Amino acid sequence: MSNLKEIRSRISSVTTIRQVTSAMKMVSAAKLKKAQDGIIQIRPYADKMNSIIGTIASELDRAANSPFTIQNDPNKVLVVVIASNRGQCGAFNSNVIKRASELAEGRYASQLRKGKVHFLSIGKQGEKRLKTKGYKVIETAHHTLEKLNYESSSALANHLMDFFLTGKYDRIELVYNQFKNAAVQVLIAEQFLPVKQDMKKEEKSHEKYNFFFEPSEDEIIKILIPRSLKIQFFKALLDSNASEQGARMTAMHQATDNATDLLRELRLNYNKARQATITNEILEIVSGAEALKG
Amino acid sequence: MFLEIITPEKKAFSGEVKLVKVPGTAGSFTILDHHAPIISTLEKGVIKVITIDGDKLEFSTDGGVIQMKSNSIILLSETA
Repeated sequence: MSNLKEIRSRISSVTTIRQVTSAMKMVSAAKLKKAQDGIIQIRPYADKMNSIIGTIASELDRAANSPFTIQNDPNKVLVVVIASNRGQCGAFNSNVIKRASELAEGRYASQLRKGKVHFLSIGKQGEKRLKTKGYKVIETAHHTLEKLNYESSSALANHLMDFFLTGKYDRIELVYNQFKNAAVQVLIAEQFLPVKQDMKKEEKSHEKYNFFFEPSEDEIIKILIPRSLKIQFFKALLDSNASEQGARMTAMHQATDNATDLLRELRLNYNKARQATITNEILEIVSGAEALKG
Repeated sequence: MFLEIITPEKKAFSGEVKLVKVPGTAGSFTILDHHAPIISTLEKGVIKVITIDGDKLEFSTDGGVIQMKSNSIILLSETA
């Protein structure tokens, strides 16, 4: 009998787990939809911004000058890792950390040995994992993920630009999951600062319009580059957010499936055990009756 | 002329307009139909728009950039 009771309690706990995972899946699916909308909305802005900078560059016939475009040899590197605050999203966080540590131990190995590679973690899970690996996490910005909007994102982006301008770091890298679809995330490690020059020469070939520039070309560039950096950063956050929801949805779907399988097996075992006890009882009664007859 | 006002979070306006007045960095200015090509950054202030139907609209902005080209305007605003 104790066996039966055991199975029964396992069945009820697995049922509860299944309910929880399937609810989390639903929640993630809803959040994913919202996160995807966010990405779709930012795209036109980012595209237009790039096209305006491209237009200016092609009118100037030279690469734009800005304090953010100064190319240098990296001495002090900051790796910004965009992870998540909550777990239960499969390999989402460990993948980001893996990519970040590849970057630190590959391209910036010599700086790492000198202790000049620092990390900034967005997301509690990322911080935890980075610290376990023994990296130096100088700052965190978990709150940015809780309510993701342009304002908080651009405050953080400004903070990063200050790091670069004041010379605290001379290379800033972003590591995050780029959203492809609900099941697929692409890991991206991209250079945030200094700005790579080639990305502004995209529209080199188009015709000239002889624009008026107000105030002047260089002034505009000076204002636009930080702005396009903010957009780039915001886009990375949105991408990562959508990826997180996608990853969680997939993970929870899998968990729900597993729970269903487990439940089926448990029910089968339970019924087998139940039948066995009934058979035993009948056997006892019958043999008891036989003994009386005899 | 065609005007698009885009913010990082949404598309605030899109349609045919008669007049656009913006707070440019080098001074406020107005764009009418067939204005010469211009790129200007914007200050914090108010963008005034008169649509083709004569409706007057106002958007506040924390700064941005405007590009007028081939009788179409793209206005990127930080917030609107």
